[in-house]
Amino acid sequence: MKTSLQLVTRAALCGVLVLSLDACSLFHKKKQYTGVSDSDMVGGTPLPERQEGLSFMGADVDRSRFSPVHFGFDSVTVEAGETGKLNEVASYLKHSDKQLIIAGFTDERGTAEYNRGLGERRAQAVRSYLLEKGASSEHIQTTSFGAEMPAASGHDEAAWAKNRRAEFGVTK
Amino acid sequence: MLRKFSFLAAGCLAAFLLTPLLSHAASTPTITISANGTITIAIGSIGGPDGAAIAKIVQSDLALSGFFSFANANGASMVVSGGSSGGSLQGKVTGHSGDNILLHSYEGDARAKAHAFANDIIETLTGVKGMAGSKIAFIATRTGHKELYTADYDGSNVRQMTQDANISVAPSLSPDGRHIAYTSYLKGYADIYTIDLASGARNRIVKFPGTNSGAAYSPDGSRIACTVSRDGNPELYVVDASGGSARRLTHTPGVESSPTWSPDGGEIIYSSDDGGSPQLYRISASGGSGRRIPTGHNYCTKPNWSPDGKKVAFNIREGGSFQVAILDLDGGGVRVVTGGDEARDPVWGPDSRHLLFTQGGSLMLLDMQTSRKASILSGLGSVSEPTWTR
Repeated sequence: MKTSLQLVTRAALCGVLVLSLDACSLFHKKKQYTGVSDSDMVGGTPLPERQEGLSFMGADVDRSRFSPVHFGFDSVTVEAGETGKLNEVASYLKHSDKQLIIAGFTDERGTAEYNRGLGERRAQAVRSYLLEKGASSEHIQTTSFGAEMPAASGHDEAAWAKNRRAEFGVTK
Repeated sequence: MLRKFSFLAAGCLAAFLLTPLLSHAASTPTITISANGTITIAIGSIGGPDGAAIAKIVQSDLALSGFFSFANANGASMVVSGGSSGGSLQGKVTGHSGDNILLHSYEGDARAKAHAFANDIIETLTGVKGMAGSKIAFIATRTGHKELYTADYDGSNVRQMTQDANISVAPSLSPDGRHIAYTSYLKGYADIYTIDLASGARNRIVKFPGTNSGAAYSPDGSRIACTVSRDGNPELYVVDASGGSARRLTHTPGVESSPTWSPDGGEIIYSSDDGGSPQLYRISASGGSGRRIPTGHNYCTKPNWSPDGKKVAFNIREGGSFQVAILDLDGGGVRVVTGGDEARDPVWGPDSRHLLFTQGGSLMLLDMQTSRKASILSGLGSVSEPTWTR
């Protein structure tokens, strides 16, 4: 049991807090939805709607048709040496209406959430290259697994280099 | 004149804060603050079948808070005691002259009653928000898969929330501890789900094309900030707590990740590698442009804003090793607070004094005032991405 004086004190404190919160929320309400609308772009090409039930790990997706593309540490740049593999994917897509899912991955180092973003950025960098080569954006999805599911299990540069990659899944 | 006013205001505030303490006492209790700044307290007996267990948890909570040191009843300025019967705990703190400083009853299981009592002791005697009643959630690999778990802040009362044998990551507890938002790959893509902890109901709330991850509840629990890549690049978004009304905040070719809210919900600090390597930025929660926060480090990820609004904990990469640093928002100073094994994913406790982070696969609790560090979890495999109620 707390004394009534203490309760009064707490109630008074709460009153002050409630008043200031109200003042804040009134102020914010005015600004809240005047931000940027969700259809705004920075020159990128938005992803098409996902095809329901289709996923990179699904049984109806062939993940070995194309070789993975590799990246430098903390880099999303498509290296010149990797473009041969991508040109192969681009020319396949031009003559096919199959769905392509690009999955980005990172090595185990760094912050998990940043790595998920970095993996997605790698997948998107590969997608941009394919779009430049004439592939249709309607048939391409991206996903990122960050540092999950490494291609090599070691903890050295040789393993890390294999794990910084984008893989391709094509519908069967 | 101004100075006189602020002095008066401070005096009033001090009197205000002390009132609840003094109001209990027939005579003013003498609180002995020892040289190291702790309050000396004795843990007396708590009667009843679960009394001994409760006393042990209360003592552990008071010790972890960092505010207390312990003595026998003769050497302490206050004694904790009580009685437990019929599922109810009568908790009491008495001063030297036998006066009641705190007297309150608590319901629930032994652990819940003990944490609630300990939290009242901390808040009554220090005037600071305690962490003893708080909850945490995290990811662990005990089953061989990354699954979502909850626990009390001290690592006890562990519950496995998901049994998906899939990939569950990036959890965020709502400030009131009733919901968890997190990322799951159940549909093959990273989507944001929420779980209502009372009912167990799960909803997929952010499922745009691409990757949806990094949910962070706003301080009032009404909104969620996250990373969404549907526009062709990972950008920061704010959605309402059920996933609707998506609004985009950032417009860069870089990767935006790990948003964290200011205590008033008006601003967001996040990490972006738009300038090359990941750095901390600050943006209004209603949009605009992000302003870079200088830290002196060239890899800064996973910021976490303290509930008192004064500090930001984040990850740095230094000499190839990942460590935890603290940015003082007033002065702009940055200090590295971990060393040795890689430390990741820092999160502040409700007291803005303790930090949780992972190190060597286990969960560490660090008292920023005393630098005391304790491992609070083991046996769950590799633990990652802790989140904490506020």
